[in-house]
Amino acid sequence: MILISLSMGYIHIPMMDIISILYGKTISNLQILDNTSETYLAVIFDIRLPRILTCAIVGAALAVSGSLFQGILLNPLADPYTLGVSAGAAFGASIAILLNLSAAFVSVPAFAFTGACTTLFLVLFLSYSSKNPMSGLSSNNLILSGIIVAAILSAGISFLKFIANEQVSVIIFWLMGSFASKTWLDFWVVLIFLMIGLFISIFFARDLNLISLGAKSATSLGVDLKKITIILLVTGSMLAAVCVSVSGIIGFVGLLVPHTIRFITGPDNRKLIPLSMIAGAFLLLFADTITRAVLPHEIPIGVLTALTGGPVFCWIFKKNRFK
Amino acid sequence: MKLHLHDISFAYDHDMILQNINCSFVSGNFYSIIGPNGSGKTTLLDLISGFFNPCKGSINIDETPLLSLSKKEIAKKVSLVSQDYIINFPFSVKDVVMMGRHPYIPRFSHPGGDDIKKVGKVMKACGIQHLSDRKINELSGGERQRCVFARALCQDTKVLLLDEAFSNMDINHTLQMLGLVKRSVKEKNTLVISVLHDLNLASSWSDELLMLKKGEIKASGHSQDVLTQHTIKDVFGVTSIVEFNEHAQAKQVYYPSI
Repeated sequence: MILISLSMGYIHIPMMDIISILYGKTISNLQILDNTSETYLAVIFDIRLPRILTCAIVGAALAVSGSLFQGILLNPLADPYTLGVSAGAAFGASIAILLNLSAAFVSVPAFAFTGACTTLFLVLFLSYSSKNPMSGLSSNNLILSGIIVAAILSAGISFLKFIANEQVSVIIFWLMGSFASKTWLDFWVVLIFLMIGLFISIFFARDLNLISLGAKSATSLGVDLKKITIILLVTGSMLAAVCVSVSGIIGFVGLLVPHTIRFITGPDNRKLIPLSMIAGAFLLLFADTITRAVLPHEIPIGVLTALTGGPVFCWIFKKNRFK
Repeated sequence: MKLHLHDISFAYDHDMILQNINCSFVSGNFYSIIGPNGSGKTTLLDLISGFFNPCKGSINIDETPLLSLSKKEIAKKVSLVSQDYIINFPFSVKDVVMMGRHPYIPRFSHPGGDDIKKVGKVMKACGIQHLSDRKINELSGGERQRCVFARALCQDTKVLLLDEAFSNMDINHTLQMLGLVKRSVKEKNTLVISVLHDLNLASSWSDELLMLKKGEIKASGHSQDVLTQHTIKDVFGVTSIVEFNEHAQAKQVYYPSI
């Protein structure tokens, strides 16, 4: 029931938004485009709608992923990229671009996804110790392993940029993230992953609440800590990896959205995860609309979210700490 | 109900924490584990609560091996007040205490009337009902410890493990909580195993004491027999005077000033 109402609510709300945006856009483009309704249809259904929907769903997935990471790593400042997932994806994509595989259009996302997954398993492997499995997956170990792996990978990316002569601008542009020329395929792929991820995270939402009590307390209350940590980490990382592979690196949504929603609803993950998802969709759609329709030049959305999200986050953080 | 530890050993990497522990805990009794820092007291509780699995030996609850039970089944039998009472996210006190009902509430459903009644009753007994809507991470150490205590009581288990559960409470609340668990031990035939640093409290409240040193049991049984100048010197390395106290109706330990 919860799941159904959520997915309904989710599609419904951005839909209203999309309809109004689309409406405004079609009217303002009246002069530019040929006055035929066929053109509108093509513009809306082949270009705008896939882009808008992909954008909303990526925002939603990033926000869900962020809430999961903050819950597992017990750190309100964790985000999907803390475990180096984004660096892995970026590294994979850079290789694909460098080897000029981008001719076959799927290969950049595919490489990005592979890179992200490989990084995740490397991080899990690093922080897991067979001798002491309980404390092995502690948040400190995970964050530390994530940072180490991410640092190595960003050095790798710099090296790739250095040896990539002509493709360097392609790499840089991809890394900054964009929703330009997204297709229906992108949308459906992310949607499927989001639905799976959402189901898993709602299923374990109460266990995630208990994890914040500390490892021992959670275990004594019947939470199989190791199992749930791994399931939720993989879920969160998959969501982030899919997003990165579709749209490049978009920072701050995964960090900012769950954090802000937590101020409003409190820390209960059963409310936090679905609400973050809706808010994430709104926020990213808003940002994308600004870059696409309001600004004179289309700037990469990753840059915009970081530039606007960063200061907003600083303000909330400061205000909340001294309340 | 009987909890039996058979030939338990536990090691972190290569450091032996517990060696060949054999002991039994019978319901209707309040046990205290005493011993110096690093003697394996907390680890012993972690093994009983299923947080760690012993490297060797077995733990049985009424003939059922602990290993054969799922975490959720254990949670319905054994509750723990651990030392990690720092909670990372701003949950309300009410929510934290309600988490004690987790093993009984099926997935996707909300707490029932019984759960809410139980939580209300326990919060009143622990004297935290006025904190109900406060954020847990804004409370003082002692208040937070009482909330965690209440959460464990809500779990409604036969076995209650207390790991220095009173370390931040004032004497009034310590006695109140001790009274609460002692009553449940005698009236509901439950079992309490408590790690305590205060030898005098341990002596006057416990039915039996277990003295640990370097992962081995040095003495166990009635406090009368366990607490002597000799054992305290041997285990803690301090000189003391041990005598029966009329008011406490138990042996009490005094430390001569230098």
